[in-house]
Amino acid sequence: MLSHVFPTIKRPSSRANRGPRRARFCLAGVGERGSCGCRLLYRALALPMSTMQGRVMLLLLVFFLVLCAPFVVAQGLDPAALLKPATDTWPTYNGDYSGRRFSPLDQINAGNIGSLTLAWAFPVRVAAIKSTPLEVNGILYFSTPDNVWAVDARFGREIWHYERRSEGDHIGHRGLAMYKNWLYFTTPDAHMICLDAKDGTVRWNVELADPKLGYFATMAPLVIRDHVIAGVSGDVTDVRGFLDSLDPETGALQWRWYTEPDPGQPGSETWPKESDAILHGGGMTWMTGTYDPGLNLLYWGTGNPNPVLAGEGRPGDNLYTCSIVALNPDTGKLVWFFQTSPHDVHDWDSVETPVLFDATFQGKPRKLLAQASRNGFFFVLDRVNGQHLVTAPFIDETWASRVDSRGRPVAKPEAAPSPDGALVEPGSDGSTNWMAPSFDPQTGLFYVNARRLFSIFYLTATGKAEGWGGRDHNLWANSTLRALDYRTGKVVWNHELGNRESIAGILTTAGHLLFTADNSGNLLALDPATGKTLWHLNMGGRLVASPMTYLLDDRQYLIIPVEDILYAFVLPEHLVAGPQSQTTETTNTRPFHSSSTPPGAPWNKGLTK
Amino acid sequence: MAQFVPTFQRKASRFAALSLGVVFSLALCNSDAQPQAAAQDSVAQNSAVERGRKQFEQSCGFCHGADATGARGPDLVRSPLVAHDVKGDLIGEVIRHGRPDKGMPPIPAMTDEQVADIAAFLHARAAEALESASVPKSYPVEKLLTGNADAGKEYFNGPGGCKNCHSPTGDLAGIAAKYSPIELEARMLYPGDRKDGPQTTAVVTLPSGEQIKGQVVHADDFVVGLRDASGWYRSFARDRVKVELHDPLAAHGELLGKLTEADVHNLFAYLESLK
Repeated sequence: MLSHVFPTIKRPSSRANRGPRRARFCLAGVGERGSCGCRLLYRALALPMSTMQGRVMLLLLVFFLVLCAPFVVAQGLDPAALLKPATDTWPTYNGDYSGRRFSPLDQINAGNIGSLTLAWAFPVRVAAIKSTPLEVNGILYFSTPDNVWAVDARFGREIWHYERRSEGDHIGHRGLAMYKNWLYFTTPDAHMICLDAKDGTVRWNVELADPKLGYFATMAPLVIRDHVIAGVSGDVTDVRGFLDSLDPETGALQWRWYTEPDPGQPGSETWPKESDAILHGGGMTWMTGTYDPGLNLLYWGTGNPNPVLAGEGRPGDNLYTCSIVALNPDTGKLVWFFQTSPHDVHDWDSVETPVLFDATFQGKPRKLLAQASRNGFFFVLDRVNGQHLVTAPFIDETWASRVDSRGRPVAKPEAAPSPDGALVEPGSDGSTNWMAPSFDPQTGLFYVNARRLFSIFYLTATGKAEGWGGRDHNLWANSTLRALDYRTGKVVWNHELGNRESIAGILTTAGHLLFTADNSGNLLALDPATGKTLWHLNMGGRLVASPMTYLLDDRQYLIIPVEDILYAFVLPEHLVAGPQSQTTETTNTRPFHSSSTPPGAPWNKGLTK
Repeated sequence: MAQFVPTFQRKASRFAALSLGVVFSLALCNSDAQPQAAAQDSVAQNSAVERGRKQFEQSCGFCHGADATGARGPDLVRSPLVAHDVKGDLIGEVIRHGRPDKGMPPIPAMTDEQVADIAAFLHARAAEALESASVPKSYPVEKLLTGNADAGKEYFNGPGGCKNCHSPTGDLAGIAAKYSPIELEARMLYPGDRKDGPQTTAVVTLPSGEQIKGQVVHADDFVVGLRDASGWYRSFARDRVKVELHDPLAAHGELLGKLTEADVHNLFAYLESLK
């Protein structure tokens, strides 16, 4: 029983609570390992009651039970809680439905970042951690392919580890979703597994797609009320992409939306009629989408069409590949779409997070959706109806000749892969990729880890292309973190990260900090308004995931995976207890998607115009 | 080569993930490193694939296409049944019993060996589709030679600025014999393998005015580490010294953004002539 008793400690109403709460926490924490509490009980019962020691023990036992009683509470996650933006926890892949990866926590801030210190480290010794952990009720849940861990978010100790070896592509794993007491985990053999968050035991296991056909799964599912939304990966074979909604209790399929419409349906006119291309057209759904509870719209990015580099057999725009789609999460019906790369032949999936925020655009408050896409273009849409607002390159590119009237970049014919090689920027790895972008409502800036990447694309297919039908060779890459003005896509500042391709994600916080990493093994905290480095630390390895943060016991934790080790950073205790420590009670009431820049803040001037 | 690593890893991991046959494993792995038995298996497998190809063309090609990508009948390279088949256990059933509902006649006389050969061929075709996410090192030079060598030479000596660092009778003498054509094209654009190539150097100026020069071992926003003339490693915090970095490949990086497709192919045709 005691092994899963974790105190659920709400934010204290006053600092005076600090001492006792800490003591209680300590007891429960030790009891969690089945020693202190049990030993007390054992000793109290074993000793004669007449002895003084026995009475003391009994008193201690009563004291212990009384303290524990309020903490024996459900450890699960109420899906209704996800409808409000998270403040001190991180209950979804992106932290909240908006995909902003902006935390309202500001205990760690620009003024004290220099004092950041290591709280603990948790090595998994299996594979690089590419997932973003969930943090719910003091427990972190994260994954690598075939593996899930539950780790004590305070002390970095393993609670349980689930492993299931499977066939399929083990390229990476992004994380989990949670609903009540259950976790949802996708696997390299394209299964969805429901685990008991308490102990990692399997509740059910269903196959999303046939791994023998080349499907696999890496993504973190998204829970919306009683839907578990899951996408699939796999473009080495020509299979049809789709997005599934499963019943969180049973795994039963609620709906399936295919990236390619059925022949004859709207959108099918963008595929050749007299062939099976549309039913083998790819468009994988391998990154977690975002959701607007007010509009009840689910936003998802879709991947590249197949065959990947050989487009001859699939003339047309190839809807709805390389698109941002808005679906009704209750029915899976398409509400609107926007295609970022019509008829893609460069593997430029449009799966990068569609980030949601409310802000002023051309003088009017708008509900916006922004994506920095793998093809090098930044797109801003009205997320109510998909109306296109901005298309602008966020980094150099050589493939587009212009932007058409619908806001879509138009490819130069000579940029298509060819037998003698076409030199193109970006390469197939893209101007950015799956690593998390961020939108900071305090600066009004959109941040993306971008790359200059030149590659030479060869078309090798002869006859009917199957699979990729070609490949590109990366020649040279250089990475740069860019802050974009969402109103224009213009680069406001630029922070060089070094040669090669960065795959480090971004977190911004109300502490006026932006966390990421460079390509030399340094973790970085930047000023989100200027890009200036405020803190750095050589971790001896690369960040190949995205940072996240949460508040526990009045202490802000910053979690950053570096290769196969999870690191937790905090401020030293004397700084946390000091007057400069501020928990962000006020931000609890911040409405969803608000762009809550303080009026008069210097970086707010542009926003209010 | 260093710049190919990410591509290769990605491809290899995908390939390994899909155990659709080992026929093309030789193309991925160094055959010298394989045990002899495996090599023999592979030879046997290749003969089976070749026999299967002929058998397939003769018995199935009319409907499924000689390369199995479909004609009147479905594409079998993408077939779920073929993906699940193990050594003909599913394919054999279909061949012998046909698919009368879909107009496929049965071929009951097909022997076990013939079925196994056809299965080997179809698995090889599926593996070939998987393997299409790579460019073979033995890529035919004819495909690459679409440019004009004379125009390439002009570009080399003129707007490309190549002659500022290179000479066809010096460092580039016989360059086309040194690298395979596809490697040469990539290295011409950016010579990524820097271990045997030119290194970035740095000049570090200390507050005293003293200057230290050497080959850069590490450089980021915070630190520069180099090997000085004596061969010893030295490092400096960048906020305390002045650092000038000299990247000998910087001109290649700049050129990438300026080259037209025609420049690339003309220049390649010129370099390929330097045997």
